[in-house]
Amino acid sequence: MIKLFFVTDIHGSNVCYRKFLNALPIYGVDVAILLGDLTGKVLVPLVEKTSSSWECTLMGQHVDVETQEDLAAVKKTIENAGYYWVHQTRDEFEATRDDPAKIDALFKELVLARVQEWLDLADERLEGEPFQMFMAPGNDDWFVIDDMIDAAKLIKPCDLRNVDLDGHEMITCSYSNPTPWQTPRELPEDELTTKLDDLCQLVQKQETAIYNFHVPPYGYSLDLCPKLDENLVMAAEEKIHAGSLGAKQVIEKYQPLLGLHGHIHESRGAQKAGRTLLINPGSEYSEGILKGVIIMLDKKKVKDYVFTSG
Amino acid sequence: MWDAFGVGFMNQGLTPSIVVMTSLGVGVYTGGNMIVAVLLSVLLAGVGFPLVWGILGGSMPRSGGEYIYNSRIINPVIGIAESFGNAFVWIMWIYVLAPWVADPGLAMLAQFTGWDSLASFTTQTWGVFAVATIANIVAFLFVVFGIKIFARVQKIVMVVGIGGCIVICIVLSMYSKQDFINSWNTMAAEAGSLPYNEFLIAVEEVAGESMPSTWNWFDSLGVMVAASWLFAYSYCITFIAGEVKRPDKTIMFSNLFAILVPGAFALWTAIALYNIADFNFLSAAFYADNLDNGAWDIPGYALDFSTNYVGLAHILNPNGFLGVIFALSYIAFGLWWVALSYLAFPRIIFAWGMDRMGPKWFTDINPRWASPVKNHFLCFVLGEAGIAMYVFWTNSPLQGLTVTGLEVVTVFGVTAISALLFPYVKRARGIWEASPYKNWKVLRIPVITIGAVFNIAYLVILFLFFFVMPDLRDFTTAGVIFYACIWALGFVWFYFWKWRNKKTSGIDTSMTYGELPPE
Repeated sequence: MIKLFFVTDIHGSNVCYRKFLNALPIYGVDVAILLGDLTGKVLVPLVEKTSSSWECTLMGQHVDVETQEDLAAVKKTIENAGYYWVHQTRDEFEATRDDPAKIDALFKELVLARVQEWLDLADERLEGEPFQMFMAPGNDDWFVIDDMIDAAKLIKPCDLRNVDLDGHEMITCSYSNPTPWQTPRELPEDELTTKLDDLCQLVQKQETAIYNFHVPPYGYSLDLCPKLDENLVMAAEEKIHAGSLGAKQVIEKYQPLLGLHGHIHESRGAQKAGRTLLINPGSEYSEGILKGVIIMLDKKKVKDYVFTSG
Repeated sequence: MWDAFGVGFMNQGLTPSIVVMTSLGVGVYTGGNMIVAVLLSVLLAGVGFPLVWGILGGSMPRSGGEYIYNSRIINPVIGIAESFGNAFVWIMWIYVLAPWVADPGLAMLAQFTGWDSLASFTTQTWGVFAVATIANIVAFLFVVFGIKIFARVQKIVMVVGIGGCIVICIVLSMYSKQDFINSWNTMAAEAGSLPYNEFLIAVEEVAGESMPSTWNWFDSLGVMVAASWLFAYSYCITFIAGEVKRPDKTIMFSNLFAILVPGAFALWTAIALYNIADFNFLSAAFYADNLDNGAWDIPGYALDFSTNYVGLAHILNPNGFLGVIFALSYIAFGLWWVALSYLAFPRIIFAWGMDRMGPKWFTDINPRWASPVKNHFLCFVLGEAGIAMYVFWTNSPLQGLTVTGLEVVTVFGVTAISALLFPYVKRARGIWEASPYKNWKVLRIPVITIGAVFNIAYLVILFLFFFVMPDLRDFTTAGVIFYACIWALGFVWFYFWKWRNKKTSGIDTSMTYGELPPE
């Protein structure tokens, strides 16, 4: 039997990533899987007021930073929420603010730096430890981070390939069906279905396989999210299914042992699809809470699972 | 914001809650001043509840209510014990309030329209059971098909409920004291009942004391216990905290408005009532309505309806159509209270299931309706069993206040303590650091701490007066034992599931809650 710890959608949160690494010995897991989305979405400029004071807008509020201690605390808050910070003079801030290309370049630089920082931290923490750790991006992540994960010393990449988990074959797909946010790894449903089906063909024993698809299958309880209005604001009264029809099709067709999913943060839960147990551990990365699921896996069945919140 | 306000406001149950404030509040604390009670309640609850529940809900915007806050801030064991109590509370609301749809709800409608057979049916034991069962089924159907249908029906029920309450207030405001006395005497003469002055004397004889002619502070604070139904229940917005737009603002402001609006209506009603009748007469009328068989326990009283505040409005204007509007307002709010239990209870046990503090099916979501259908069925079965028990066995309207007592101790009290501790405890440091309210301070004191102090002050008043309430003395002793048993059951439930998970699958459920090192 192996004990598997699965986490997804930490979106650049430093505290969640550190908690993830710390959880492995505490939970006593054999295999850890950190699926996308790995990178964050918000850049916070810390603009100099004087040589020793700064200001920024954080979570919709104006924040004045007057001491080095406060500065360190604000940076930590930013990093823990999955955001990125940059020091700028007033002139630099105004020049960047008006130039989308500069913002993109700066953002990408900070995102990649944090991914590298995480990979280095994993090398440091996993050295000599008995755990296996797999990592893959999600639809929000740029393609450039794939090479970084591939080049990692101890973390094993798993996106778009079949890897062995102590006798269980695991296939992983970082792509999603189209979203309102036009993220880097989206495919129309027909193309995604083909891609997933091709991936499923790599599996020899479907009955013990794990499908590690970032996007959950359409129509189950793991892909329910609030409907968005025309301004991309959530509506309170209506939930819709946002999963992938392609994922649903291949899961129902091949009936693997286990489906691990993410993408829809608010749909934490587990549900059966025929003989397949589908799980989405959800995400509360912005609150610095690591949501995950521990799964006890026998050779031929899922013995049990428990959701975690740490 | 509108839907969130609707959930909170509808749980304040405007028209029946004003009946509770008058008949169960002034009816017991006869020297209570409703205006003072309302203003003090609005001040304490209006500051405390929105800050406590708004900041907790906005900091942890997940559906499931206070279980999430108390588990994370205080301790998972306290969280489950408190939540266990609250799950009971929501079932108790079904069996206490569904029968109110029959009597006095439908009974009032029948009495105001002269429909004697319906009046007779809805006041008999089997009639109450039948109507309460129908209310339970209808409420179940309103919620089981998901939040979209729930929100649509809620709008209709709100219009009926608020509209009727406005009409009652307008009627009470349109007439003078002399008009009321004349109407009372005319109606009494036609029915062979007691005129205005003789009714007061008859009530005083039954009570064995004179009705006070002016108010006092002690009784006014006592009225706050019953008036709490108007102010303390908007918290159930947090059961849909994960599904509202801008939870950082919506939960707080919808909570505030859900207190201010009932406050305005209660104040309007109180001023209008003091305008149409003498202080001692109102105390007598509400005292009489609070007797076992209502005002008919007063020898010589023979009007078709009892003397709650809706009945007094009917005396001023006995038009049958208006009577239907009055009664429908009461019925709409009563029915919606039952529906709100179906919103809360299934989500509470869903949250337990996610933490493996219950069977796995607690977490089953029906993909078609996006709701925990199995949990709804469980809620229905427990509610129906409770209705049978209440109607055929206990059957006292004051049980409603007993539930409030349990809620004050269990839900509001523990959550207010969570709010007080939130900025300071290590366990929740990460959540507080990420909270959008972290920098909300007055004189360097976190605003949530100030809110918690107001909230606790309000709850202490409620609890003290709940215990000294003469009509509840027996209930209170039994109630304390009852609360202790429910809390003990909560602890047993927690440790049972912890043991079972360890035994059957080797999973240590404490991993579910354990704070992971953040460095």
